[in-house]
Amino acid sequence: MENSFLSVRNMSYMLDIHSTLRGITFDLKQGENIIFFGLENSGIDKICPFISCAIDDFEGEVFFKGHDVKNASYYERNIIRKDMVYLQRGYGLITNMTVYENIALPLKYHSNMTSDEIDFRVNQLIDEMEIDLSRDMRPVDIYQSERLKTAFARAIVLNPDLLLAEHPLEAQCVLNVMSVMRSLKKWADSPLKSVIIVAYNPAVFSDIANRFIMLYRGEVVFDGTREEFLSTTNEYVVQYMTFSPKGPMLV
Amino acid sequence: MRLWGKIENFLALTGRKVIAFFSGYIEFQHYLKSIFNSFKSLKYLRLRSLYSTVLLQTKYTGLDAVFLISVVALMLGATVIIQASQKFPKFGIDSFIGDLLVLIIIREIGPLATAMIVTSRSGSAISAEIATQKQNHEIRSLELLGIDTKLYIVFPRIIASILSIISLVILFDVVALAGGYLISRLFIFIPPQQFLATIINAFSFEDLLITFLKSLMYGILIPLICCYYGFRPSTAFQIPIYVSRAVVRTLLSVFIVNALISFLFYL
Repeated sequence: MENSFLSVRNMSYMLDIHSTLRGITFDLKQGENIIFFGLENSGIDKICPFISCAIDDFEGEVFFKGHDVKNASYYERNIIRKDMVYLQRGYGLITNMTVYENIALPLKYHSNMTSDEIDFRVNQLIDEMEIDLSRDMRPVDIYQSERLKTAFARAIVLNPDLLLAEHPLEAQCVLNVMSVMRSLKKWADSPLKSVIIVAYNPAVFSDIANRFIMLYRGEVVFDGTREEFLSTTNEYVVQYMTFSPKGPMLV
Repeated sequence: MRLWGKIENFLALTGRKVIAFFSGYIEFQHYLKSIFNSFKSLKYLRLRSLYSTVLLQTKYTGLDAVFLISVVALMLGATVIIQASQKFPKFGIDSFIGDLLVLIIIREIGPLATAMIVTSRSGSAISAEIATQKQNHEIRSLELLGIDTKLYIVFPRIIASILSIISLVILFDVVALAGGYLISRLFIFIPPQQFLATIINAFSFEDLLITFLKSLMYGILIPLICCYYGFRPSTAFQIPIYVSRAVVRTLLSVFIVNALISFLFYL
């Protein structure tokens, strides 16, 4: 498992009955894309923080490209995080920096690129995300969709191998973030890039993900391919996708 | 029974305070250790990512404080010069005015007043800024980008603070002496040559060195303590509590360091 792209073993956590994960185990191959979905207290919100070890008080192991992420030192984790980027819920843009500066920050900190090369790369992403008009504005002055676009551009600016996206479309109009969806699709189609998405609405990402995992009360209740997800009779998935109060899940 | 209850409450309160003091001390030690450990990240860091923060902080801490420092220096300088010139001739020791000015303004008031102004202006701003960034998940976001937050946030502020405080102390001393002299001329007359000569005679290389040492110590202490308290709040409700704590404890530390340096070098 140390040689796989991403390997999660027996990830467990127990804070209370509503905040729990029970022995989550899965492997992610390079180029594979997973979406985690489920109810609010199903444990999906712990997946990205635990994989990236933003929170590391859980049981179990996480290996990324052979590195033991959980037991890595602070400095080793900083290096690992250049390749495994976490687009967190709420985006966490730096408020005293402009859109341009936010996107350029990882390049200035980590890369050996010259100022011209950084400028070229950032402009390329600004064009791709269609946020040219807000390039010199601060996050407080821009729309929610532009915040997502900026955070997404900042996340992929270093060209990482794995993107962890936590509720990326929360409080977003899907039409306004089509550039992100296009870029995410292009990313997901690459055989060298992988993405793990955590969302409440998996159908929106059905073109992107090729594996769907549903959690309920911290346990996996469904794990299947896109085709299996679309044609499943799994009672948990059916209840979830039909928004039905009747079924195995207590809502 | 009531008395025993009061004693019990007093002991409990004292115990809590003592425990809080020691746990705070241990936490601050961990924080200092993490700062030192952050130097390991220097090999991964491109220094250019810190330039803009150093420049911006130097502007906020140094350049933007020039007017306030000049006004305070002028007032304090004039007050000391007027008091000294009014009292000294009566005792026949007016030739010691220079010594007194060097003693009070250059050695003590200059660095101390500058540190107090920087703490109340920039120290509080540093704490509030970091605490707000923490609440907005910006600190976490930096860490998730693989950025060493201690190095990226604390280190440039220390550099900027050292540069600013050294410059401001020099400015304070010059304005306090020169400006103070000019204002005092409205009330008393001391020949400029005599004033300058007494200052130069009283000023030694040791004074320069100690002023520099104090400025350096304050330059390190102020951002270090204020950043520490900026990282502390875990809810928005705690931000004003920790900002106030940052200012009060930084000022206390500044007074202690000032007294220690003076004891060490002048006793």
